[in-house]
Amino acid sequence: MRTTRFYILHMLTGALVAVFLGIHIISLHLDTILGFFGMDVTDAVAFESMMERAGQGIWAALYIALLAVVLYHALYGLRGIILELTPSPKAGRIVTRVFVIIGIIAFAWGTYVPIALLSG
Amino acid sequence: MAEESVKQIIFRIQRYDPEKGRILRMQEFTVPASRGMTVLDGLIYIKEHLDSTLTFRTSCRMGICGSCGMLVNNYPHLVCHTQIEEFNSNKLTVKPLPNLPIIKDLVVDLTSMFENHKAIKPYILRSDKQEMANPTAEFAETPQELADFLQFSYCVKCGICISACPTSASDKVFLGPQAMAQCYRYCADNRDEGQQERFPVVDSDHGIWRCHLAGACSEACPKGVDPALAIQLLKRRLVSQALGTARKKQPAKPVPPPTEFKEKVPFPDFTVKKD
Ligand code: HEM
Ligand code: HEM
Ligand code: SF4
Ligand code: FES
Repeated sequence: MRTTRFYILHMLTGALVAVFLGIHIISLHLDTILGFFGMDVTDAVAFESMMERAGQGIWAALYIALLAVVLYHALYGLRGIILELTPSPKAGRIVTRVFVIIGIIAFAWGTYVPIALLSG
Repeated sequence: MAEESVKQIIFRIQRYDPEKGRILRMQEFTVPASRGMTVLDGLIYIKEHLDSTLTFRTSCRMGICGSCGMLVNNYPHLVCHTQIEEFNSNKLTVKPLPNLPIIKDLVVDLTSMFENHKAIKPYILRSDKQEMANPTAEFAETPQELADFLQFSYCVKCGICISACPTSASDKVFLGPQAMAQCYRYCADNRDEGQQERFPVVDSDHGIWRCHLAGACSEACPKGVDPALAIQLLKRRLVSQALGTARKKQPAKPVPPPTEFKEKVPFPDFTVKKD
């Protein structure tokens, strides 16, 4: 059931990317839409607004979750494409390992910033 | 009766002779074709009258052996099952099936397909070894249970679905639509309980999740098998098993033949009397 479990996770992260990235893009760029729903957002992309969000746990959690979900979805998707073009089990294992390493490094690097900002 | 019209059809055929090096070339033949002639009849005409070295595979000539899959005008067909008239053209291009190694001319090597087919154990697997070795009765199967997999059992192993599949085109070790459809055909059989033995074969890096539902296999299959549907149904089984939501079903039990018989209903009288 290994491949099936990873693929279920892939479909699930695909859906979650849509949700998290949706929140991200709407809150940063579509302030007219938020205004329509009665939310007052002034200058969402200003440095002050960003630092204000950075101090709130909920935003940090959202970004870390978005990062995790995007990394898994993108890397597993790319791995699938590359596996189809490298029809040997050995090449497949190398691709998998390289992607796991890239994923871990990117995740560690990406979570460091919001956590550092959060803790002042 | 009107005189039968004979049309001159040009067959452009891809030739390949491994003994003469790795060169593919196209060769043209003119075949007098009458109504009802199949593409295979045209190839047989060429072999008998024009060039006896032309190599192709055929056996049953009635669409059941799966030998004669070829690419005609860039679409895969069983050529014994395809009339020349269908193309509405006086020029036909015949090539071997793509995505498979060519042995000679129009003959492709189907070894990988048969290996993959064998790997999914295309036969009824059961735990009651005693009954399987020395059957005492038939296994019960309702018409509905038969309908669950009947369509998928029409596969003639022609390899056409593999030649149409875009994943098979890029991934040379992909399990392929033929084997995966047959995996479902046996897993869906109510007499079978071999799912756990077959799942590891399809649930692999070059297995079922490399299928992206292009649907080309189902479009091309000459037997109406719809391998893409079988693969989707198999994916559903794999997912519900991984999530633990699969329903457990007992395989069909042997049912001894009836010992009591009702009296036969007498044959009705003819309503139209003979005299
Ligand atoms: C891989 C998915 C993404 C991740 C993980 C991500 C993450 C982040 C983070 C952590 C911030 C800073 C936090 C904040 O301002 O509250 C940010 C800012 C921003 N993001 Fe994204 N983002 C992603 C995709 C996108 C996309 C697709 C767009 C464009 C549609 C976008 C546009 C922006 C903009 C304009 C900013 C503000 C930059 C600034 O004010 O300096 N992001 N993103
Ligand atoms: C970072 C860029 C992305 C890459 C490299 C990527 C790659 C892939 C790949 C290769 C697949 C597999 C398709 C298949 O197996 O047939 C896939 C599936 C999927 N993707 Fe993405 N994707 C990306 C971004 C997104 C985004 C932004 C969303 C949502 C808005 C998304 C939603 C989905 C969903 C729902 C699936 C599942 C579809 C299925 O299983 O057939 N993806 N993705
Ligand atoms: S599924 Fe259809 S196309 Fe594929 S091998 Fe069987 S009969 Fe041929
Ligand atoms: S010759 Fe048997 S299927 Fe065509």
